[in-house]
Amino acid sequence: MNNLIYTIGSLDNWFLFAQIAGVITITFEFWSYQIKDKVRYFLITGIGSFFWMIMFFAIGMATGMATQASLIVASSYSTIRNLVFHGIFKKNTAESKEKGLIFLLVMIAVALIAGSLTVVNAPAEVRWLHALGMITSISFVIGQYLPGVHYVRITVVFYAVVVLLTQTPLNILYGDFRWNIMGMMIESSKIISVIVFYIRYAREEKKPQIQLAKP
Amino acid sequence: MFQVISDSGCDFTKEEAGEHNVHVVPFYVSFDHENYLKEGVDITRDDYFDRLTNEKGLFPKTSQPSPQDYIDAYTPYLKDGKDIISVTISSELSGSHASAVIAVDTLKEEYPDRTIVLIDSRNASVGQYLTLKEITKMRDAGLSLSETERIAREILKAIRVYFTVENLEYLKRGGRIGPTTALIGGILGLCPILQLSDGTLSQLDNVRGKKNALKLIEEAMVYALKDEVENINFVISHIRSEKDAANFFDNVEKALNMKIANPISGIGLTIGAHTGPGALAFAYCKKYDTFLS
Repeated sequence: MNNLIYTIGSLDNWFLFAQIAGVITITFEFWSYQIKDKVRYFLITGIGSFFWMIMFFAIGMATGMATQASLIVASSYSTIRNLVFHGIFKKNTAESKEKGLIFLLVMIAVALIAGSLTVVNAPAEVRWLHALGMITSISFVIGQYLPGVHYVRITVVFYAVVVLLTQTPLNILYGDFRWNIMGMMIESSKIISVIVFYIRYAREEKKPQIQLAKP
Repeated sequence: MFQVISDSGCDFTKEEAGEHNVHVVPFYVSFDHENYLKEGVDITRDDYFDRLTNEKGLFPKTSQPSPQDYIDAYTPYLKDGKDIISVTISSELSGSHASAVIAVDTLKEEYPDRTIVLIDSRNASVGQYLTLKEITKMRDAGLSLSETERIAREILKAIRVYFTVENLEYLKRGGRIGPTTALIGGILGLCPILQLSDGTLSQLDNVRGKKNALKLIEEAMVYALKDEVENINFVISHIRSEKDAANFFDNVEKALNMKIANPISGIGLTIGAHTGPGALAFAYCKKYDTFLS
């Protein structure tokens, strides 16, 4: 017990803060995939992404920004994307949809450029895995924008699996197994949430994809 | 008995107008943006949609009836001592209602004993069509002008209109969607599902392929109508999509176990200019007698 108290006491405050931000991220990410309505989904997942960014920032403050800079950029990109999509879907006008589509195309272009650079700079034997990461992340962004409840959930599962395999949680790329528990939990929460959603979905009364008003 | 008048946004054919005794004030359409033709008078539906189908890149323009067109339509009935109920396409979509307002104001002094009830349908096409049909039924059943107006306004509040289009280019030309949406949507073969609600158009969903769009509307419509089968009127309208319309209607009839008389109509030139060939529209509303006091 004394050892545990000593261990916690010796942890950097920023590191503890990162863990709290991580738990909040898990909560919001799990919640978001239970929501069918796109407007609310983007708001909740956007808040999740925001705390995800805070988590990387806090880890950076605890361990040094150099290792976290790219993750802070990636999570900021997710936060902005989700909140912009939230605004676009909330307005639901021809103009907002047009802006949303242009924004989506810009997001895809950014992801393509960033992903291609990563693939090119990666060791030859693991390029395929980085390419897979790029493809699944772009698919996820498109899936988020597409109508209906299925595309976003299917694409996020593939994306989360690839992130689990390629990023900090299970860094299989170079044989460097770091076991970032929080990172694993965040990605797993998305996958579990999708599974829970489909269990609930299978049980509920079947309603059409679009709801027309009663006369 | 009062006279029923509507602009051609109601999609009545000449035959339907004659059968239901509705005077239709035509919109104008133009292919060259210089010479305007009166809908149903100077150009028939068939000729119009033949040109749209065969001449790629042809995007006609429409123009609302002028106040004088309405004055010319109203005057003979007023002279005959008849009151009028006049329904226009949504004022959010066209200036037709504004023209009718000017005409009514102009004629008020000349015919102080006559009443012209002017209704902004805040609707169009199939929605306006169904409402007009109910108005003519009320007139033929001997309801008073004021009771007919009250119920017509109730129907218009409750009416639901949905449609889908095949070619996004027409929506783009009409400013209903942006150029990027039209381009990407065209490449992906997307069919938007649109609703006309409270006078304005909005998008409900986007689906790949017309077949899927129709399936989605069909499922949603059956779900929405399943408890109201006895009390509703239902109509499908289309441009050169007779087979799709017939299939849709058959499926809905079977699913709801109901029989609907004359459910299929045709979209007119005015709305057709903004949707293009291949469009299908759907509307339903409660029958007028459910609103009787």
